[in-house]
Parts: sequence; structure tokens; C-alpha cells
Amino acid sequence: MSFSRIIVKRLLGLILVVLGVSIITFIVSHLIPGDPARLIAGDRATDEIVANLRHTLGLDQPLPVQYWRYLSGLVHGDLGTSIRTSRPVLEDLKAFFPATMELALVALFFATLVGIPLGVLSAVYRNKFVDQIVRTISVSGISTPAFWLGLSLIVLFYGRLHLLPGSGRLPDGIDPPTSISGFYILDSLLTGNRPALISSLRHIILPAFTLGFVHLGVVARQIRSSMLEQLNEDYIRTSRANGLAKWTVILRHALPNALIPSVTVLGLAMGDLLYGAVLTETVFAWPGMGAYVVNSIQALDFPAVMGFAVLVSFAYVLVNLAVDLLYMVIDPRIREVS
Amino acid sequence: MSIRIATTLLLTSLVGLGSWAKTPADSLVLGKPSDPQTLDPAITIDNNDWTVTYPCYQRLMRYKVEGGKGSTSVEGELAESWKVSKDNLVWDFKLRKGQKFDDGAAVDAEAVKFSFERMMKLGQGPSEAFPSDMKLSVVDPMSVRFTLTKVFAPFLYTLANNGAGIVNPNVLKKADAGEDAKTYLARNTAGSGAYHLVSWQKSQSLVMEPNPYYGGSKPAFKQFTVKIIGESSNRRLQLESGDLDIAEALPLDQLSALATKPGIRVQEFPSLDVTYLYLNNKKAPLNNPDVRRAISYAVDYSGIIGGVLKGQAKQMRGPIPEGMWGFDPSAMQYKTDMAKAKALLAKAGASNLKISFLYSVRDPNWEPIGLSTQANLAALGINVKMESMANATMRDRIGKGDYDISIGNWSPDFADPFMFMNYWFDSEKQGLPGNRSFYSNPEVDKLIRQSASLSDQKQRIQMYQQAAKIVIDEAAYVYLFQKNYQVAMRDSVKGFVYNPMLQSIFNVDRMTKK
Repeated sequence: MSFSRIIVKRLLGLILVVLGVSIITFIVSHLIPGDPARLIAGDRATDEIVANLRHTLGLDQPLPVQYWRYLSGLVHGDLGTSIRTSRPVLEDLKAFFPATMELALVALFFATLVGIPLGVLSAVYRNKFVDQIVRTISVSGISTPAFWLGLSLIVLFYGRLHLLPGSGRLPDGIDPPTSISGFYILDSLLTGNRPALISSLRHIILPAFTLGFVHLGVVARQIRSSMLEQLNEDYIRTSRANGLAKWTVILRHALPNALIPSVTVLGLAMGDLLYGAVLTETVFAWPGMGAYVVNSIQALDFPAVMGFAVLVSFAYVLVNLAVDLLYMVIDPRIREVS
Repeated sequence: MSIRIATTLLLTSLVGLGSWAKTPADSLVLGKPSDPQTLDPAITIDNNDWTVTYPCYQRLMRYKVEGGKGSTSVEGELAESWKVSKDNLVWDFKLRKGQKFDDGAAVDAEAVKFSFERMMKLGQGPSEAFPSDMKLSVVDPMSVRFTLTKVFAPFLYTLANNGAGIVNPNVLKKADAGEDAKTYLARNTAGSGAYHLVSWQKSQSLVMEPNPYYGGSKPAFKQFTVKIIGESSNRRLQLESGDLDIAEALPLDQLSALATKPGIRVQEFPSLDVTYLYLNNKKAPLNNPDVRRAISYAVDYSGIIGGVLKGQAKQMRGPIPEGMWGFDPSAMQYKTDMAKAKALLAKAGASNLKISFLYSVRDPNWEPIGLSTQANLAALGINVKMESMANATMRDRIGKGDYDISIGNWSPDFADPFMFMNYWFDSEKQGLPGNRSFYSNPEVDKLIRQSASLSDQKQRIQMYQQAAKIVIDEAAYVYLFQKNYQVAMRDSVKGFVYNPMLQSIFNVDRMTKK
């Protein structure tokens, strides 16, 4: 099957996934006891005020009607209006999603960039000192709570050493770059906005390290085990016997094969990073979707919660599509079988 | 340039020393845990939003500052003078001249009429504080009339409330106004206050600058910034470093640590924010006043205040808190007395009671208070099952009366004991609107309703105190404590006046930095 056919097939599947996610989120958010109208109007509001609000928000309609309305809006790119903020959900998500996505991507970049070499070193020097160090780092990465690590980094780099900022995406006095993608680093690069570029890089270092550290451990361990598997294969021994240099064999032959399972891990990690950025975002006052979604859930603001679920599932499917395509790039055999 | 030099240059610029800056002398930076939800004064009922809206709007009335302290009495803000008809139903307000919105338009009677009619039409939380059938009319461009159908004694006080903010009618002409300007006002301000909002980076910061047409004296700060920092340790660190001038909502342990730091002061003020237990008066076994009295005697008030609140609270003396007019310093106060509690339980003929304590994690104090109550009631032979749930679910069950004991916080919207007496005890307000214990006593109904219809404050106080005696004796609720409001700020910040009615609201127009 060609690339384009796979893409078309997956994109069709995407519609079904979004539909499924929207139905499940809709049902679950409406099964939770509690009345969003009451939450907005406040406890002290009279029943009349609450009833009036329920009517304005369309909450007095039967559930299928409410869902149909939501779906009709969704088809037209309208995710509804947030009950809590009175703003269109799309506008809120546009403000928060790029921040979360940027943080997740930089964290993933960091985890990959550091995790893969560590995993390779660990496998090559199995049971040696280097391996012990890498394994310690991986285990600490997996077992360190993000909020603890984040706070410690803030105390050290912001509070004590005064080297890096402690919160937010940009300091006061520096305007965000003209929005193209919503990613400050990319946008400031594209628009040549140097002060915004330096500031946004400085602001993302600590949160991206915190968020990426956990996945660094996962990636390093995954690479280590698949590298060990590859290094014991016959073709490696044959290559070495043929006189190829040790690192040429490792990097040119063993690593590409060891990367395939790791790509899967990275695809899954992206989902984790998107959902799991909440704690890191809270610690670093990173204006992403974390706090927005938590507040929306508490306020039973289901248009906002559904908007989030739909958007993240959308992103997740696209990332996994990219992972599948990457398989085909890395391993010609998969391309042929497909 | 070699790669090494390029990398060194990049790293040096990234970890430069620019992140260590004190806030400028002509700006005030406040750190808060969460972003405002909406800035529409006709919709928001949350003090967290009022931090921004209150200094951006003016109201007909405002809370007085007496001897440098905030009080619960009111004086005219936009209203220069007012008079009320003999039957207390028609209120005429004459507006102060020279007050202008941030686009230069004059604040006139039409604007007042527009703002109140809009709020009542939207019919959301803030409208609940005003009589639903009140009518407004423009007498002349600078005079406005409110006509009520029933006497409502707290009326003047409600006009100082955030919901009574006067909105510029020109908002309707904005391109992105939306229906009734709801879309525009959710994210912008359009008032005649000392400041107006100039930017809002969602979940990051809100920047306000002086309203160029403000009718009052010019504020000292050229910028008032609210920074959103969710994590309390981070807020504390930024206050210590000088990146914040004021840090709000810090936990008690952080506040006590900060109090010892040079250059920072932690201020404590008695608030009108109370915590109390709802006892379900209409469900057995708590429908028996003696069981409720027994519980009131068994609660460990000083243990809760000393242990859970670290001493930052004061036990209540009946339903009206200290600091609110109408407070009765001689009212009966339950003290922990297990012998009395046992005797009352025996008198009620109750034994082997099994009840539930409903709470949520919304307030971290609720669980330890519940556990303390559980332990004390166990000593009486009452078995208490702790039930923790999501706040929305808990409120739903309280509204339906599906609980035995539950817990809540309450703070007044306007400075009148009405907020406590009429809300908590009127049998018509049973359920979430206020009477969460489902208390019902015709004599109390009569007293509190009559008090709300009189204009003579002395007579009103007398009636409220008489009603309070009955409800204290019948132990409708367990009146736990009123909390202290604590805020940490840098020593350089001067002129903050705390008002118990305006928690989380700063008088930025009068504050300075030295």
C-alpha cells in the first residue's frame, strides 16, 4: 500500500475516532451528577435563575438534541461556548493548545536526543560503569515525581542561582511573537524576533526538562533492551567478522533496527506528554491546557472538556499516523509488506 | 565561527542574568493561583475575577474607609446624593458629575439604567442580590430612579457589590460585542474605574493601566499586573525574589516561613468568611434538636482552630460573624463539653447512631475537620461515616437534602446580616440557596423577614439578635469559625486597605510603592 493510501485510510479512521471520543465524552460528562447551570449561577441563586440559565445554555433540551447540536457545530468547526468562561471553546483552545504542544514537543525532543545515545551507550557497555550510570538515570527519570523535580529546579536555577526564569512563557515587557503556529520558539524564528526567541527558549528549558526527564528514562531503557537484542544477532557478528569498525556496526546496522520499537514508545509518549503536562504546567505556571481542563472538569464545563478530548484525540491519531509512516521510512521491509 | 563558540554564546545568552529583576517602582505586580473565568460584572460571582473587575468599574455606592481601615458601611461613589421615599420603595440617586468611562463617554443615568437592566436580563448569579422586580427610570441625564415593589432593607448595601458595576453602553457597538455584549465583556473591561484592562495573556497575566478619563485622583501605578502562578511555592519564591509585590492564597506554612524573611510582611485580617457544619434538620436523627445540641457540644473547636487553622481563625458566636453589624458579643457560644453532650444524647433517647459526613476536597481543611468531628462523635457513641466526593456531586446532594452532616464556607455578598440570617434560616430558602440545614421555624421566619423590611437599623439588629438566640439554641448548624485573611507583600508596598467585603480586591488606585 502506498503512503498516500495509508494516509487517506487513516484520515477516514480519524473521523470515526473523533466521533467515538465525542460520543463517549458527551455521555460521561452528562452522567456526572451536578448541574453546570447551578455551578455558574452560584449556590445562592434561586431556582428561577438556574432554570433561566439552563434554558439559555440549552441544557433543558433532551440529550440526543444537545448532542446533535454539538455535532452540527463540530462539523462547522464550532466547538461551542465554554460554560465557565463564556468564550468560544475554540478560542480558548487556540490560546492554550499551542503552549502545551510546544512544551510536549520540546520535552519529547529532549527525551529523544538524550535518551537514544544513553540507551546505546548502556547497551554497548553492558554491566560496565557507564551502563550503571545510565540505568540509574533511567530509573530516576521514571520514578521522580514531576512536581518535585520541577520545584527543585525552580529553587535551584531561579531561586538560588538566578539563572533561569521560574514561570510563564515570556517575561513581562516582551510581547509574544506574531502568531503563525502559536509556538513561540518557531514563530519568533520565523519572524526574526530575537528577544522573543531567547526569552521563550530560556522559559522552556526547565519545564521541558522536567516533563522530558520521565520519558528520557523510558526511551533509554527501551533503546538499551532492543540494542542488546540486535547486538546478539548473527548479522552483527558477520559485519564485525567482515572487518567493519565497531561503532559503524552499532550506529549503521544495529541502531536503525533497534529504533523501530522505540518509535512506538515515542508515539505513545506524545499522548502521555499531552495529557500528562498538567503537573508540570501547574508548577511552572505554563499557560497550557492543563489548568484549563482541570478547571473545566471541576466546573462541569462539558463543551470545554469535549473540545479538549476531541482536539487531543485528533492530535494523537495524527502523531500515530506519523509514527506508522516513520516505520516505513526506517524499515523498508514494512513498506514492502504493506 | 566554530560550533563551540556558537554554542557557548547561545548558552550564555540563555542562562543570562536577566531573570532577576525587581518590579518597577511605578507598577504593582500581584501573583494569584488562577486565571479569572469571566470579567463580565453581570455574570461573575467569583472574588478571583473581582480582583480585575473591581478597580476597572465604579458603582453607585462604595465601602467606606474609616480611620485607615475598611468598614462595612457604605458611601456614595458615582452617587453624589440619594433620597428614599417614605414607604422605602422609591430610591432617587443624583450622579456625580465629571465621571467618565475609558473611552471618554460620560457616566450618566442611561448608563446606570443600561447596566442594571442588562444584569437583570441576563439573570445570572449577581442578579440574585437584587429584588427581581425592581424597575429603573431616567429622571434626568444625571438622576436615576429605582422603584421596588417590596421594602428591601439591604438595598443600599447591594449597590456596592461587584455586580452593581456600571458598564459603558457603548460596548454594544463593538464589532465583537456578541449578544448583550456578553462576548466582549467576558474578556474586556468597559467601566469608569481608575484602571482598565489592556491585555490578557490567558493563564499568564492580565495588565491594567490607568483609565485616561478617570474622574478621581490619578493613581500612582502606571501598570497593575496580575500574574497567574498556580503553584504556591513558586508564588512564594517570586515574592522573595522581588518579581512579585504581593502574593495571594499562600498556604499557612509558607506564610509563616515568609513572615521571618526580610523585606516581606505577612498581614492578617479578620474576615467574614466563615466555615460551618450543616446539620440536616429534616432527617432523623438530626431532626431532634437535642441530638444537634449534643453534636454542637462535642465538636473540638479549639483543636480545629489550633490544629487545622494554625490559630488563624476565631470561633463563631452564633450565625452573624464578628465585624458584621448586628454581631452579638453576648450570644451563646457552644464550648466543647462531652459530659453535656452525652447527657443531651441520653435525653434524646438516641443510641448507636450511624450518620454520614459529606465533604469534598474543594477546601483542604474540610477533611481534617471531618475527621476531628468523627473522632469526637465516636466518643459519644455516634458512628460517623466519612463520604468524600466531587464538589459538584456534593452540592447536588446537599441541595436535595441527601446527607446527615456536611460542611461549607460562606461569605457575604453585601454588608448586611441579611446575608447570614435570611439566607441560612428562611424556610423559603431551603437547600442550596442558603438554608442548607433545611431549618424551619415560623417564629424565626417572621422575625427575619420583618427585619429585612424595616429601615431602622436598631430595630433590625434587635430582631436579628432575637432570631439568632433561637437558632443558636436549636443548633440549626454548628457555627465553627471565621477565618483570617492573610496576604504576603513586599515592605515597599504601602497603602493597602483591607475590607472584609472585598476579599482578594486591592485598592490599587490608592496604593503606592516606596
